Amino acid sequence: MNGESFLFTVFALATCLGAIAVVFSQTVVRMAFWLVISLGSTAALFFLAKADFVGAAQLLIYVGGTLVLLVFGVMLTASGPYLKIITSPGEIIMGSCVGLLFLFVVFASLDGVKWREPSVAAMATGNPVVATGNTLRPIGLSFLGSRPDQDLISDGDDLTPGYLLPFEIVSVHLLVVLIGAAYLARAKRRPVGSG
Amino acid sequence: MVGETLRNLLMIAWLLPLAGFAVEIFGGFWGSRKSRVAAWMSVGCIGVGFLCSLSALLIWGNSNNFWKVTHDSEHHAEAGHAEAGHAEAGHAEAGHAEAGTDQHKSPDSVASSAASVVLGKTVFSGTLYSLARFGSLDISLDYYIDSLTLVMFTMVTFIATCIHLFAMGYMSEELTEEFVDHSAHLSNGHHVHRPGRYYRFFAFLSLFCFSMLGLVLAGNIFQVFIFWELVGICSFLLIGFYTERKSACNAANKAFIMNRVGDFGFLIGLMVLWTFFGTFRFGNTVDAKGEVVQAGLFQMLPRDETGNVLRDAASGDVKLGAVTAAPESPSSRTIPYSLLVVAGLGVFAGCVGKSAQFPLQTWLPDAMEGPTPVSALVHSATMVAAGVYLVGRFYPMFVQEVLLTIAYVGCITLFMAATIAMVATDIKKVLAYSTISQLGYMMLGLGVFGWGAGLFHLITHAFFKSLMFLCSGSVIYGCHHEQEMPKMGGLWRKMPITAFTMLVGVIAISGLAIPGLVNWCSVFAFSGYFSKDAVVATSLAFVKGNPTHFLLFIVPLVTAGLTAFYMFRLWFFTFAGKPRDQHIHDHCHESPWIMTGPLLALSVFAAFCAIGGETGPLYRLITGDQPAHVAHGIAGAVGSGELTLPGHEAIHAVHGTAGTLALIAAASGTFIAWLLYGTTLVNVAEIKRQLSGLHGFLANKWHFDELYDGLFMQPSHVVGQCCVWIDKTVFDGIIHASAKVMIFVSKWDKLFDEAVVDGFVNLLGNSTFAVGRSLRVIQTGRLRQYVMFIVVGVVALFAILFTTFPG
Amino acid sequence: MTADLNSYLFVGAVLFVCGVVCMATKRNGIGVLMGVELVLNGANVNFVAFARYTDLGLDGQVFSLFVIVLAAAEAAVALAIALNFYNNHLTIDVDRANKLKG
Repeated sequence: MNGESFLFTVFALATCLGAIAVVFSQTVVRMAFWLVISLGSTAALFFLAKADFVGAAQLLIYVGGTLVLLVFGVMLTASGPYLKIITSPGEIIMGSCVGLLFLFVVFASLDGVKWREPSVAAMATGNPVVATGNTLRPIGLSFLGSRPDQDLISDGDDLTPGYLLPFEIVSVHLLVVLIGAAYLARAKRRPVGSG
Repeated sequence: MVGETLRNLLMIAWLLPLAGFAVEIFGGFWGSRKSRVAAWMSVGCIGVGFLCSLSALLIWGNSNNFWKVTHDSEHHAEAGHAEAGHAEAGHAEAGHAEAGTDQHKSPDSVASSAASVVLGKTVFSGTLYSLARFGSLDISLDYYIDSLTLVMFTMVTFIATCIHLFAMGYMSEELTEEFVDHSAHLSNGHHVHRPGRYYRFFAFLSLFCFSMLGLVLAGNIFQVFIFWELVGICSFLLIGFYTERKSACNAANKAFIMNRVGDFGFLIGLMVLWTFFGTFRFGNTVDAKGEVVQAGLFQMLPRDETGNVLRDAASGDVKLGAVTAAPESPSSRTIPYSLLVVAGLGVFAGCVGKSAQFPLQTWLPDAMEGPTPVSALVHSATMVAAGVYLVGRFYPMFVQEVLLTIAYVGCITLFMAATIAMVATDIKKVLAYSTISQLGYMMLGLGVFGWGAGLFHLITHAFFKSLMFLCSGSVIYGCHHEQEMPKMGGLWRKMPITAFTMLVGVIAISGLAIPGLVNWCSVFAFSGYFSKDAVVATSLAFVKGNPTHFLLFIVPLVTAGLTAFYMFRLWFFTFAGKPRDQHIHDHCHESPWIMTGPLLALSVFAAFCAIGGETGPLYRLITGDQPAHVAHGIAGAVGSGELTLPGHEAIHAVHGTAGTLALIAAASGTFIAWLLYGTTLVNVAEIKRQLSGLHGFLANKWHFDELYDGLFMQPSHVVGQCCVWIDKTVFDGIIHASAKVMIFVSKWDKLFDEAVVDGFVNLLGNSTFAVGRSLRVIQTGRLRQYVMFIVVGVVALFAILFTTFPG
Repeated sequence: MTADLNSYLFVGAVLFVCGVVCMATKRNGIGVLMGVELVLNGANVNFVAFARYTDLGLDGQVFSLFVIVLAAAEAAVALAIALNFYNNHLTIDVDRANKLKG
């Protein structure tokens, strides 16, 4: 077992156990804590898979952004300091059974998949650009419309299109969502006495 | 161009009343019912029409040197009558000579003989507007202007103007929002109350004038037919003006239906003419270069030098002198002689209906139901004149068999109507029968080859008959709608103008004259004498040539006496003697000026329009463009059975004799009338009692209404009842049976529908509803449950996938 | 346990199933949102793994970036909705949101 495998095993376990802990935690704050463990481990897995930028984005946005948002949500919606909205054990057991069944099905299908030959051949090394792990620059270029990862390994003269348009759309989408969220969440003038 | 000027003037005169009609009918709709605007507009239209017609007449005369005054007749111009400017000299012959040189003739046509129809330069014809074209048949609006057209135009517009003015006074009772019709009753016994129809009356009058003028101006027989029917419709509208009165409705229907009978014959004649002549036009059709493309109807009938119709020796057919542009077939058309007779009789049948000749005369007396101005218009200038005018217009097409028929029909009519008029007591009925009688005179005159005489009488009669009708209207107006003569009497003190003008008309129609009073003419007389004299003289000349037809002279001569008798009877009854009904006499009054004015104007014309007799201006105007074969007469071959038709010279030879005889008859009639009704020497009631059988026969109008009732009405009632029986038993039975079958079938159909179709649809709906209700339970609205469903669903899908495609 | 494609996919599957079970069992609205985040992360792991272990290039990474961004947006909107829900019901229990019950 080399170092990479060891690190992968550690982070994969951390990820999975964190997720399972999220499922079985009863308070929101604990769920948030376990979610941080799980998402952070996922970021580590991204680093292991040589997706440096994605991993960094995962850490920044999820762990640093979304989770803080969730915690704010917890605080804003909490009726009492340690409020628990308890799920009945029967439901948990039934949900777990169904989840296990689902997991079994997914695992079974993953086991049954025969990957195509070119991909199998590339599995050891992967894409040469991606394999370097330094994907910040190629991702930036792909957002501007250029694809070094594809163009460098292909023989033809055809250039592969990049992600300029989806990038712009997502930008606008984000803007709209921010405005919408701000509108939805703004403090409304409520009738006196109802809360 | 004289022709274009004339055309334009006459078109203005013709179309103005139409414009007036359009404005009036809508103006009456939107305007006030108390406004006289419609009447003034109507008078204006027809008055302007009169001025146009008069100027057209003057222009026509100028272009033909008609007015060139000779010295010996210049004092006529100072005599002061309205047509004094129309000079007297005999230039008609000169006009003919010029006309003869200018006519369009095909060089190889038989129509080129001198006796053929002359289309001189005084005749203007052409096309106004082409309506449609069916093969070689050209339906168009044409005009055909000759002296007869112009005289008719002037006469119609003048009389119509007078009648319009008179009607403004006569119809003034209609100037109200609520007119009470005392002659019409509702079912509950009350009088009919309705809004006044002043504007409508004048709109109809305008339409009537438009129709009549269009008929006179018409340049083809199809157009004639259209306006012919328009005249009929207008008379229908006006006779039935008081639509609330049952009798008025019946009279209008009667007039219309009687005319339809005649028009049936007219249509037959029309079709025969179209089939064999191939054109409807009177005049030649001329192309842009002035060449004759298609000869007119009047140019196609060939006549030899004596005026007889040329017939093919072998077949007896008539070769038509069709002048066409195609040189190889100059005269390829022929028509069997019998069909020519049929065509002539057919056209004459239409005239019989319109001019109320025997046997279709019964509508005219009933037409008295209309307002009196309408009667005046119908009886003088428009409706009945149309028939006589058309006979005159179609004269070139009539062969001698047709002419003889016309003469006899006129003869029967004039005698019959005169006898009925002698016993009638309704003032308007007397005048109506006198109209029929005078129309008979016209027809007789035309039939015995007196083309000019018949139309001469038409014009003079129009003047004095319209005068007398307006006078009777004035009497009726003054007596508050009392029409029975036995209730009048002694009215001349109350209404002197009416009495005087009526006397003028009576003298005119009776044909009284004072012999040898004035040196420039053999007699001094009112218009009626001259025209009737002309007719009687023509018939005498005709009888001299054809002694077998002596009745054609005797009957009109006797009837001249009868005419004088019944007309003076009317006058004495109404105006002379003592008042018979003091109440009416006390309340009657002279009519206002707007009514007496036209009476005076018309009386001048009734008295003097025919001045000079057959050498006078009116006669020469009428005959300015007479058919060429009329002048010389036609000498029938001895023993061939053909008629000898008198020419002008033959007529002139017997003029003195005829005039004297007619004058004696008229004078004796007048004397008897004076004896019976003007004095108290003879007890009229006693005579009536002794002759009660004859009186009853005449008073019942020769039982014509009963005869027609028995001949046509009862059989059609019987047929109708048979049809009703068949309808009720056979057809109703079939229909009821099929209805029952349908009901039976529908009942089963209903069962099927309710059980099967509705059941199926309901089942579908119910099952859908049930499924929806069962699925409703699943919709818990709980998010987490939905997520579980998704997961379970995915798992189930995968399970199915794996079990279906293992490996 | 070696770091190959299937290992990543197994991790992603575990994350996904945990997220789904989280959504199905949590009555707390924020908990449901966390389940959603877990599901999205599972998908992201798959994307990145495919980018690493195939010759498909950067597509997977770019997609995972989009997913992250959209997840952030979704979280913002969802939290806004949750706040509104809380304002209306004075609780965050999603079982109270059963107005759509059939």
